[in-house]
Amino acid sequence: MSQQFYLPTLRVLAQRNEVQVQALVDPAASARTPLAQAFPGAHQVESLAQVKATEGALAIIATPPRFHQPQTIECVERGWHVLCEKPMASTSNECAEMIAAAKKANRLLAVGLYKRFFPSSQYLKALISEGQLGTLRSFTVSEGGPFRWPAASPSFFNKTQTPGGVLLDVGVHVLDLLIWWLGEPETYRYSDDAMGGLETNSRLELNYHGGARGLVRLSRDWATTNQYRFVFDRGVVTWKVNDANGLTIQIAGTPTGLRSQLVTPLTPATPDSEIRPAPTNPQSFIHQLRSVVAAIRGEGTLLVDGEEGMRSLRFIETCYANRTLLPQPWFTPTEATRATQLAAS
Amino acid sequence: MKVAIIGANGFIGSRLVEHFHLGGTHQVVPVVRKPASLALPARFAVEWRLGDALDQTSLAQALQGCEVVVHAAIGDPVQIERMPEVLCAACAVAGIKRVVYLSSASVHGQAIAPDTTEATPLHTKHSLEYNNAKVRAETSFFSECRKYQLEGYALRPGVVYGPRSRWIADLAAEFATDRAWLYDEGRGICNSIYVDNLVHAIERCVSATSGAGEPYLVGDAETVTWADFYTKSAELLGRAMEQVHRVNELPAFERTFRDKVENTVAQPWVQSLLPAVPFKLKRATKTLLASWNPPPPPEAWSLPGQPAPHITEEMALLQQCRWKFPHERAARTLGYAPPVSFEEAMRRSFAWYRFATEADVI
Repeated sequence: MSQQFYLPTLRVLAQRNEVQVQALVDPAASARTPLAQAFPGAHQVESLAQVKATEGALAIIATPPRFHQPQTIECVERGWHVLCEKPMASTSNECAEMIAAAKKANRLLAVGLYKRFFPSSQYLKALISEGQLGTLRSFTVSEGGPFRWPAASPSFFNKTQTPGGVLLDVGVHVLDLLIWWLGEPETYRYSDDAMGGLETNSRLELNYHGGARGLVRLSRDWATTNQYRFVFDRGVVTWKVNDANGLTIQIAGTPTGLRSQLVTPLTPATPDSEIRPAPTNPQSFIHQLRSVVAAIRGEGTLLVDGEEGMRSLRFIETCYANRTLLPQPWFTPTEATRATQLAAS
Repeated sequence: MKVAIIGANGFIGSRLVEHFHLGGTHQVVPVVRKPASLALPARFAVEWRLGDALDQTSLAQALQGCEVVVHAAIGDPVQIERMPEVLCAACAVAGIKRVVYLSSASVHGQAIAPDTTEATPLHTKHSLEYNNAKVRAETSFFSECRKYQLEGYALRPGVVYGPRSRWIADLAAEFATDRAWLYDEGRGICNSIYVDNLVHAIERCVSATSGAGEPYLVGDAETVTWADFYTKSAELLGRAMEQVHRVNELPAFERTFRDKVENTVAQPWVQSLLPAVPFKLKRATKTLLASWNPPPPPEAWSLPGQPAPHITEEMALLQQCRWKFPHERAARTLGYAPPVSFEEAMRRSFAWYRFATEADVI
């Protein structure tokens, strides 16, 4: 996360004098090196205790989830605001402790759920809440593919060190968006393929007040279409995962679909030359950090604070608590029986 | 028995882990090269290990304490040829006596000549470099087994299909895009083997009391034509066989200059020299090759064409096969008796396909 996302983001904002990188913290010097090369003025340390940052600075926490709670609490108690990567913590109880600590220290606690900054996510939120295409009737989410995240260590697949599989890893973004767009479901049914370990396929059926139904399928196993599909009374909208400024829309009664790139808002006087693409995926990530900086300066409010960041994690916990085994129809009867026993144990 | 599975994240390896662990027949130790490949094995509370099938030291460490090794790792032709040497040396270091190696029926080619059996001499003049690599790899495997006094079993499966198989997923995609095709009305022999039947063959090798040092052809019990395979697939996908393109003439698969260069580069003697070539020269050559056959510019004054079948050389050869190779040697020596019928195997395969694509088809 630090190298692929925060390094280029901080480089852009540092060049614009919007931020200054004071310290780089990691017990492994090799992990610090790429950032140290980009920010030679920052001092490098092995632990948070060694950091000498000014009060009111921002700490970005991009460590494995099990470290988020103690590190966040340490940072806010030392007078720093925090942007904590997703998932916010290992458990919602830890989230609650982080929120309480930030409140007590009067510091901001933001959570890195940057997909809310996508123009396409914001467009979908408007469509769902304002009803330009009528009431939402149903949706499907199909997201994931063979696991290829290069920074993964074996601990990522160790149940004693990582509390969840694909639902926690990919699902935390998916469910954050769904809860942001639709609120929490009235009822749900969750199943996955963990059989004593961590799940690689998840299935979630959702039913909402007002009648909307949803199906979410997440996988680290097989290439999915990586697509969200929403069926409204008066149209269908599809969104490709991570396409920050693109949507495809079919308005009921029109002969074709529209594959659209989102652009800056139009006004009656906007000349073509001033129409610009809406922010891209990397630009949305940059905007996330800018918005946190603006909130620290009192120039705005956080889009995803601790309370918001905790919601998807809390819902994931309820899914895990009520999980059943996802039927795997290629198993023999003997295998299926044993799989059910292992899943329940 | 404690059985290590090298390549436990692959299509065959992952099914083997499922079967051994859930069946309780063996204590399974999945071995994968990198942490990212643990997603499938880590569904179970099993003792997985990291080991590189191309690095003897790391592989030997990963195999410590195991009694049998099943090698199901895949790679490019150069890697395929290198793996048996690394495998056997690592087994020797780890004190393992028995090794089951997944070779392939493609050592005989895809269009297998009539009367072919395990006794048929192999050659390395196949048009597909993969086949030649498998021939060299299997030869190397037995040679290394002799060198280290290992009990080596090599299985030669044909078209292995089942959950997570490209044969199922690719065919479903071809039906979905109207690109499925059959040559000569699908009269060719598929030489199919459902993955559970291959798993059964592997189990027989693990527990066999004799028969080491030999290769074994293994397949489904039934003689399955490509027409059978496609007809059953169409039925289970809810598609019509009428949409399948009938091909009566196959294209010539001429090697482009780029293919020839790539084949040459894949040769072991070239690979051994590559480290001495300056990086900038290698990069410049790759760039030149990439630009050698640029796609034609788009023609504005045209209409979208009908979906055309994508005929690969491998598939063209497979569909010309007229020989159902026997598995008598495996039956006689190992007690191989494929437990899953073709009908049931296809039902399970497409049940997996619906499982994997459920949210995409609603």
